[in-house]
Amino acid sequence: MMKGRALKIAVAAQRVSRRTVLLAALAVPFGYSLTAVSAAPKKQVRLSISSDGDLLAFKPDQLTCPTGAAVHLTFSHTGKYITQDHNWVLTVPGAAEAVAQAAMAGGENSGWAPRGDKRILAATPHCGKGRHVSVDFVAPAPGDYPFLCTTPGHGAVMHGILHVTPN
Amino acid sequence: MLRTLSSLALTGLLATFVATATLAADLQSPDMVKIGLHILAGVYGDMDRKLAAAQYDRLPHENQEFQEGSGALRDAVAHEPTAFKSKVEATLADTLAAAQKVADTSKSHDKTQVSAALAALATSMKTLNALFPAPLRAEPGTVDPPWMQHGGKAQPPNK
Repeated sequence: MMKGRALKIAVAAQRVSRRTVLLAALAVPFGYSLTAVSAAPKKQVRLSISSDGDLLAFKPDQLTCPTGAAVHLTFSHTGKYITQDHNWVLTVPGAAEAVAQAAMAGGENSGWAPRGDKRILAATPHCGKGRHVSVDFVAPAPGDYPFLCTTPGHGAVMHGILHVTPN
Repeated sequence: MLRTLSSLALTGLLATFVATATLAADLQSPDMVKIGLHILAGVYGDMDRKLAAAQYDRLPHENQEFQEGSGALRDAVAHEPTAFKSKVEATLADTLAAAQKVADTSKSHDKTQVSAALAALATSMKTLNALFPAPLRAEPGTVDPPWMQHGGKAQPPNK
């Protein structure tokens, strides 16, 4: 009797042990990965870009950052003569022209910038000569993302590419 | 007598040409001149795009930018010898008048009229550019990407 009971306990213990081990085997790496993702600090990246003086161009017109980085981008309007506002708008690939047209359609009352447009990943406000503005965003998946100024007529020539690299 | 006068006139013309050419070759701020001419060509390109898109109401604004942008070229030649500076300023005044004409005709919303005014502006800008050495020039219609010129469909930075 005692022998049979001891055997049942032993078998039960063995079952628990197997279940525990199995769960642990599944849970540990999963939990570790969750911990690793949530605990890992985002890489902080500061990017600076400006207008090319009074010319309709960004300087530089190519930027690079790693995916997932917390990006703080500052745009400086270095124009001296012309009273024209610029901004910096990052879009999903292939959407720059459509965003420029949407900005134009929105008109001056919308500040020449379509609000709530899902094709826009990040955007600074417009700013005049001698001023600077900034925007914070998380770098998207690796790829090449166009950016442009959405002031009417500017986007056609005032544009560039943000290269987002894998980590 | 007539031959003497002709000789004097020819000599004067030659002297003026040589003086202008020499001055242009020895500009004190060639980089600033280049920027000044590029600013004007850039705004011209913007005017061209607005006309192609029939955005007549934006053309007065472009003219304002053109007038403001001319300050860069004016500053660039500020310290040049008086003869050359005067020549540049006179030609620039003609160019600015041509830009103003674009704005004035834009009120008509008549593409033919505005196109003619824009063509006159381009001609005036070519005259202005001709005062400077070729490497510094920015001819109208050459600053923008080729696919944007003359109302061509925009090929944006969609890479």
